[in-house]
Amino acid sequence: MRRELLAELRRDLAAKRTAVVATRLDSGESAILHPDGGDASGAGGPGDAELLARAREAALRDQSCTVDTAAGPVFLRVFNPPVRLVVVGAVHVAQALAPMARLAGYDVLVVDPRRSFAAEERFRGIALSREWPDEALARLGPDRRTAIVTMTHDPKIDDPALVAALRSEAFYVGALGSRKTQAARKDRLREQGFGDADLTRIDGPVGLAIGSVSPGEIAVSILSQLVARLRLSRDAAPAGR
Amino acid sequence: MSDDLYHDALVALARAATGAGRLEAASASATRDNPLCGDRVTFDVRVESGRVAALAHRVRGCVVCQAAAAFLASAAPGRGRSELAAARGQVAAMLEDGAAPPPGAWEGLRIFEPVGTVRSRHGCVLLPFDTLDDALRGAEE
Repeated sequence: MRRELLAELRRDLAAKRTAVVATRLDSGESAILHPDGGDASGAGGPGDAELLARAREAALRDQSCTVDTAAGPVFLRVFNPPVRLVVVGAVHVAQALAPMARLAGYDVLVVDPRRSFAAEERFRGIALSREWPDEALARLGPDRRTAIVTMTHDPKIDDPALVAALRSEAFYVGALGSRKTQAARKDRLREQGFGDADLTRIDGPVGLAIGSVSPGEIAVSILSQLVARLRLSRDAAPAGR
Repeated sequence: MSDDLYHDALVALARAATGAGRLEAASASATRDNPLCGDRVTFDVRVESGRVAALAHRVRGCVVCQAAAAFLASAAPGRGRSELAAARGQVAAMLEDGAAPPPGAWEGLRIFEPVGTVRSRHGCVLLPFDTLDDALRGAEE
């Protein structure tokens, strides 16, 4: 890889921007594509619109691959930024979920405007925000590689987070709470104009049905469901709680 | 007065959101939050001759907190810091000790009487009072 290409890739990784290195297998010529950006940078290399579309697919699957083009075979090497997890509610389950998700390789942010919950000593080494969740999400700009889980049990805090989540492309939207709580929550969200198609995006009660009881076990069930939503089609994912 | 915490008059007061927004050319601003429930109140005030000439507030919080901020937006203009501090004392006594709501200009505070029975929610009423006092103190400095 040429030095300037490597420098560009490092800038993309630092900026947490998806980059796909496209290399023509016949000539070895390489260029960096940015399938999420408006720009079709990489033009001049093997970067035409079709290739950009293939790069976007590869980035979505999070899988490098070789594709056939009119100009010959091209290897697409995907460099995705880490998946982001925004946990709304600095509660017990969050104390388990945040470090687990970090170990799984995800960028974790715990958001809770209640300072007594969002205390450093409860979340050593985890990024914490005391913003209201809709403010934090507006700043972060959730994308297709963002997961959002609400767990405060306070509609005043959870609902604005879910509204922001449903208006984004977040791949996983989970809401802690009983079946009864979920029904009331969905009624409130319907009043705000969301339809069934939106509401089915919410996994709630959150997590896979693995019989979890303790906060740590519930965190495992949530993290497993997050992975399933990221890696499997909706039909193939195991049953929720 | 209804015993229901979220009685109609209180909800209506919160929905009216009197004074919600920002104040251009404010003398001072202050923000406070409640670490237990996350409610957050910001007051901008313009003070002239020791009295509130204009104010505006931004509330992220429950209906009770929104209603208290809206109440102050109507009641505070024309009053000085000490008068507002006295009203704060009266509303605290009403909530905590079941004292009779203050007569006269502050009679409207009756709307918060049902909150008295729920100790954990007293702060929702008092937070806007304390934030406004912070702003007025800032304007004195």
